[in-house]
Amino acid sequence: MAALLEVEGLVKHFPVNEGVFLSRLGKTVKAVDGVSFTVDEGETLGLVGESGCGKSTTGRCINRLLEATAGRIRFAGADVRRLRRQDLKAYRRDVQFIFQDPYASLNPRMTFGEIMAEPLVIHGVGTRRERQDRCKEMLETVGLNPEHIHRYPHEFSGGQRQRVGIARALMLRPKMIICDEPVSALDVSIQAQIINLLEELQQEFGLTYLFIAHDLAVIRHICDRVAVMYLGKIVELGGWREVYNSPNHPYTQSLLSAVPVPDPEKQRRRARIILKGDVPNPIDPPSGCRFHTRCPLAQFPLCSEQEPALRQVAPGHQAACHFAKPFPIPEHKMGREALFDGDSE
Amino acid sequence: MAPLLEVDDLHMHFFTRDGVVKACDGVTFTLEAGRTLGVVGESGSGKSVTAMTIMRLIPEPPGKVVSGDIRFKGESILAMSEREQRRLRGNRIAMIFQDPMTSLNPVYRIGEQIAEPLRLHKKMTRKEAWAAAVELLRRVGIPQAEERARNYPHEFSGGMRQRAMIAMALACGPDILIADEPTTALDVTIQAQILELMQEIQQRTESAIIMITHDLGVVADMADHIMVMYAGKAVEYGSADEVFYHPLHPYTWGLLDSLPRHDVDDKGALCPIQGQPPSLIHLPPGCAFGPRCAYAGPACRRTVPPLVDIEQGHLSACLFAGDAAFIARYENRVTRAGAGAEVGG
Repeated sequence: MAALLEVEGLVKHFPVNEGVFLSRLGKTVKAVDGVSFTVDEGETLGLVGESGCGKSTTGRCINRLLEATAGRIRFAGADVRRLRRQDLKAYRRDVQFIFQDPYASLNPRMTFGEIMAEPLVIHGVGTRRERQDRCKEMLETVGLNPEHIHRYPHEFSGGQRQRVGIARALMLRPKMIICDEPVSALDVSIQAQIINLLEELQQEFGLTYLFIAHDLAVIRHICDRVAVMYLGKIVELGGWREVYNSPNHPYTQSLLSAVPVPDPEKQRRRARIILKGDVPNPIDPPSGCRFHTRCPLAQFPLCSEQEPALRQVAPGHQAACHFAKPFPIPEHKMGREALFDGDSE
Repeated sequence: MAPLLEVDDLHMHFFTRDGVVKACDGVTFTLEAGRTLGVVGESGSGKSVTAMTIMRLIPEPPGKVVSGDIRFKGESILAMSEREQRRLRGNRIAMIFQDPMTSLNPVYRIGEQIAEPLRLHKKMTRKEAWAAAVELLRRVGIPQAEERARNYPHEFSGGMRQRAMIAMALACGPDILIADEPTTALDVTIQAQILELMQEIQQRTESAIIMITHDLGVVADMADHIMVMYAGKAVEYGSADEVFYHPLHPYTWGLLDSLPRHDVDDKGALCPIQGQPPSLIHLPPGCAFGPRCAYAGPACRRTVPPLVDIEQGHLSACLFAGDAAFIARYENRVTRAGAGAEVGG
């Protein structure tokens, strides 16, 4: 199957504008620093990582909510970064966005009907009457009462609002939706409702998802393929089974081992890998492999000097580590000691 | 000997213009030294209000303890004078708040903030307290503690601030540590560090922990006993294994079922709880969970089910929890999913 979206060497640097001196020094936050992946039609690709790893920035660059610094983005054959005016408008019609916070992403002064009709108005679709009918239809599709078309966001809970956010993204029948943490603001029981809804809609409308989240369990459930990001780079990319059942990058393995599973007996038996310290500052990322400052496997000077390329470790499964292999961190390197030795950056 | 902490049918209501909000409406549990109680529930279920009531941190009015009692080592906290309560708070019972960004004072050095309870409760001199604060920072794994104590909160990362909060809570060697969503604002690798730290401290100091969270994974990791809350009420209470492996309340069933499975390769649709949580001002008649419960009958609309001991220390507030055939309806369903789990490894 042909790739619907191809991202190649995507870079996004933000100039640091705090204070006169820093900007003169030309410092930049390297939010995304050379990210490549493809998304096939009809599939769900997950971008997962901790805060500040660049996953949201990647999503925003793809939708041109942010302009990338370098790299290539191709959508259905078109060079996205060169699109202008009408072409860009048409592109955004095909690639819609669902935001994290259903409280901030819906205008409190607009009714649900107005919010959902807005994309149709902007793109000049249908008459007033037709638009209203389509809003009602869509409310029903996302599991709300069509009568709610005249109600305001504040009258509803987070889960119901997120349904409207989803309905708005669907109004123009897009090919692809970028979901940026669509369920992380919701309670567990509501989270499950929204995840099910997104999956049903994917079936019904043949949608392609780029699914951005920090919750590994949610990503595992919803995604066909997963890209794990760390400090602006993809460190591992592969089918969800491969990535979860046989992580090849020490960061992926640590991340997976750090998530407590809702099963007390299993949790008692599990050895968890405690990474030392915090994620380094993306203004001044570590040399060589960006993970080497926290990696239990790091060997010097190799890891601090040579940046490992993303290489194939199995068919369709890539990892960016000099020592990539299934479960690279042996048991004796796990455990508590990391908690207390050298927490420094 | 009296248990360390007993909460006995506690009702904390808020009297507002819109009506009486029954934020905590019948909570009962006991806590022994060296044990961890996990309190789970969705937002608005009354978890935090229960904790704040134990700490006597809720302003009255608008809040009021309508009935019930809280006893610390056999002595009623509610009957204590303000002065006696102050001697307890931060000294015998300490709290770790969710958001380390807002709960540290930005204009005081970290070290001074940790030293404050020591000077207040232990009557240490400024110098003694500072030395003790540095030692505490070292104990929670802050490198170069001596220099770091002189830092202000903004110079700390999120994980380090939470460690500083823990150091502050530990300062007086409390008998009970109440942690309100201590890792919710943190990334998973940092969460793993903090959970590991809390367990290590508990093993050393024998303090009891009340762990409030919405994350069932965190509860499975930390808790000996679990209390599940819904709409201000404790709906289930029991040992962690009992609550996870033989839950006796349909709300707990719903919570466990709505989680994405972490261990099964077959990804079916999730089973969310239908509907929305009720407003705490207009609770539905009878069982508050009734309108969302897949198993509810007419009796559930008439009677508010009391929290009853069903099997030696495993309590449930469901009218049918004692009915083996009723419970079997859930357990049989578990067996089917369990068969799948075997295959998936």
